[in-house]
Amino acid sequence: MATTELLEPAPALRRRTVPLGRIALYVTLSVVSLLMVVPFAWMVLTSLRTPVEIASQDAGLLPEHWEFGNYADALKAAPFATYARNSFIIAISHTVLNVLVASMAGYALARIRFRGSEMIFYLFVAALMIPTYTKVLPEFLIVRFMPLAGGNDILGQGGSGWLDSWWALIVPGAVTPFAVFLFRQFYLDLPVELEEAARLDGLGEYRIYSRIMSPQVKPAFITVALLTFESSWNNFLWPLLVTHTDSLRVIQVGLSVFKTENGTQWHFLMAGTTLATLPMVVLFLIGQRYFVQGFATAGLK
Amino acid sequence: MELNRRSVLAAIGAGTAAAALAGCGGGASSAGSADGPAEGEITLLTPIYEGADGKTLLEKKILGGFRKKYPDVKVNVDYTTYAQLNEKITTGLAGGLLPDVLMMGVGWIPPFAAKKAIAELPETLASAHDYEKRVLEPSRYDGKLYALPVVLDTRIVVYRKDHFAEAGVRKTPANWSELRAVAKQLTRDGRVGFDPFSIDLRQCWETFLFANGGELFSADGKKVLFTGARGVEALQLFKDLVKDGSADYARKTDAGAPSNVQTGKASMMMTTSALWVQVKEQNPDLIEDDKLGSFVLANRRPAMLQGGTLVTQAARSRHPAAARALVEYLATPDSILGAAEQRGSVPGLSDLDDTGYVKENQFVDLSLKNLQHAFSEGGTAAWMEIREKIKPTLEPAIVGDQSAKDAIAELGRLAEAAIGRM
Repeated sequence: MATTELLEPAPALRRRTVPLGRIALYVTLSVVSLLMVVPFAWMVLTSLRTPVEIASQDAGLLPEHWEFGNYADALKAAPFATYARNSFIIAISHTVLNVLVASMAGYALARIRFRGSEMIFYLFVAALMIPTYTKVLPEFLIVRFMPLAGGNDILGQGGSGWLDSWWALIVPGAVTPFAVFLFRQFYLDLPVELEEAARLDGLGEYRIYSRIMSPQVKPAFITVALLTFESSWNNFLWPLLVTHTDSLRVIQVGLSVFKTENGTQWHFLMAGTTLATLPMVVLFLIGQRYFVQGFATAGLK
Repeated sequence: MELNRRSVLAAIGAGTAAAALAGCGGGASSAGSADGPAEGEITLLTPIYEGADGKTLLEKKILGGFRKKYPDVKVNVDYTTYAQLNEKITTGLAGGLLPDVLMMGVGWIPPFAAKKAIAELPETLASAHDYEKRVLEPSRYDGKLYALPVVLDTRIVVYRKDHFAEAGVRKTPANWSELRAVAKQLTRDGRVGFDPFSIDLRQCWETFLFANGGELFSADGKKVLFTGARGVEALQLFKDLVKDGSADYARKTDAGAPSNVQTGKASMMMTTSALWVQVKEQNPDLIEDDKLGSFVLANRRPAMLQGGTLVTQAARSRHPAAARALVEYLATPDSILGAAEQRGSVPGLSDLDDTGYVKENQFVDLSLKNLQHAFSEGGTAAWMEIREKIKPTLEPAIVGDQSAKDAIAELGRLAEAAIGRM
């Protein structure tokens, strides 16, 4: 039959087609990878140049003099050790809280039948759609008027509430609706037989969540942990708004000292940014397999 | 309407701050008296004194001197950036915890004075130092003094003397027709004659508006005045320069990046007085070889936009005498000179004309000699809202097909609506 002949190419032709497709794929991926790497390479190379070389039109691809001293000088411009420590504390706290609380919430919404669970889920989905910046001022006011904190009375008056404290840096935004949504999607996909077998064996709800179901959704945990850490590490506006002492400032605020109204010290900014990027790159390299799997399973791209 | 972070925060903040102030049941009149002894713990919010050098200057030198004079006052410094300053003030105002002393930009005084967030200062401070009259204009609202200038940043034209010599141009343009002709003459070999776009488009257009004899608002800040021919002509000039090929919006550079006159990609550019410090760091040979010149833009009149940083006092400071003392101290010639040197800015006092810093920095020197031609942006209580709309409204006229007249008319409507909401 003519149709069959057309659908089944000769073995020699098939052998030639497959490598060509592969080559095209590798070329495309290489070009895309290169495009992704170029900004990082530019950042690192700029961090090792002098201001004169950055301004020069004749500068080559590699720095003429490798100015490793830029890193030491950038670190002297602000207390980066303190800022990095603060960023780590906040990012790790957010990650632990988000993974713990959001996974419990996601599990409850996916696996436990109770009145209003659908409505609560829709509210989480609705919360996903609220632009971040519209929440800044209400959150600021909640923090400012927090009762019995920072000299405030029971009505939240008289003091400064949680402002300029770790509470303000960690509690608001620690649990995100996106994480709850993601966990719910993962827990929904698990077979009901698994849950029923655990119940028959006499396990309570908490042990079913922690011992039986959660180990099955490791990619979700890794994805939420990485995304939370990344977003918390890169947060700039909120820590700037709720703190005023240097000892509570974070690394992104520290980097802003190199960019002023009257100019930018590119060599220092790039040195600082390279250092600030390192933890994220290391974390991604460690968890990339689960990270990609997490997005694929959740149907997010 | 463009919805961005600033507009959202400004809109929410304005409403909340108004409600908070109304709830407190008073205004500046309820602020404590600054006549008592200067004592207590106060906070200074500043977008300048950046980096390790700025911090050392402020905390060791300037505040060191202040502590000697006022040993009973403790100053906590809250550093921020200009990009986040409005959010910092707005949230602080809404939360009823505005820092005692605030540094803010030119044009910002009327909006915050109208909200009764900042305190009126005694008129005697206006004559405490040798201020040029125009330098103090942005410090006033409704005829009253609310702030003192710390540093100024002027918008001037910087040009390449070697490009002028090559093209046989012997004098700097005295009006726009000369500017356009010279820009055409200088455009060659892939370089543009004039780069007006590497500074903020809002401030650039304002400089041209003022040079064309125009004004932004009426004296009481309630009427929009830029919608006439003067404002349209200022924007049209940008379109004409682009049409001539002697300016290119796509080739503008970011602040801090090597500017087009530094790299030789433009022969003239609008820039700030702070460019001198950048050139000294990035291309010192241009200064050593005397290749850079500067002049004040002119058409119907010479005009130099005057930006900068002012220091003011919160209306509700718990320690008003201490806050007042710090405001005065930050505006003394010594403090001003230190801040100007650190940022490459213009110290707005005639007392400092003969200092080594001013004489060495040619752009600052030019600015100080032309302070009588300085014009400031703002002048209305609705400025914080209007300033965010200028660039996105005018940009389509330069990069797209919209006419200058339509863009200015649209900006006028937005400004009138913002003023109407005050």
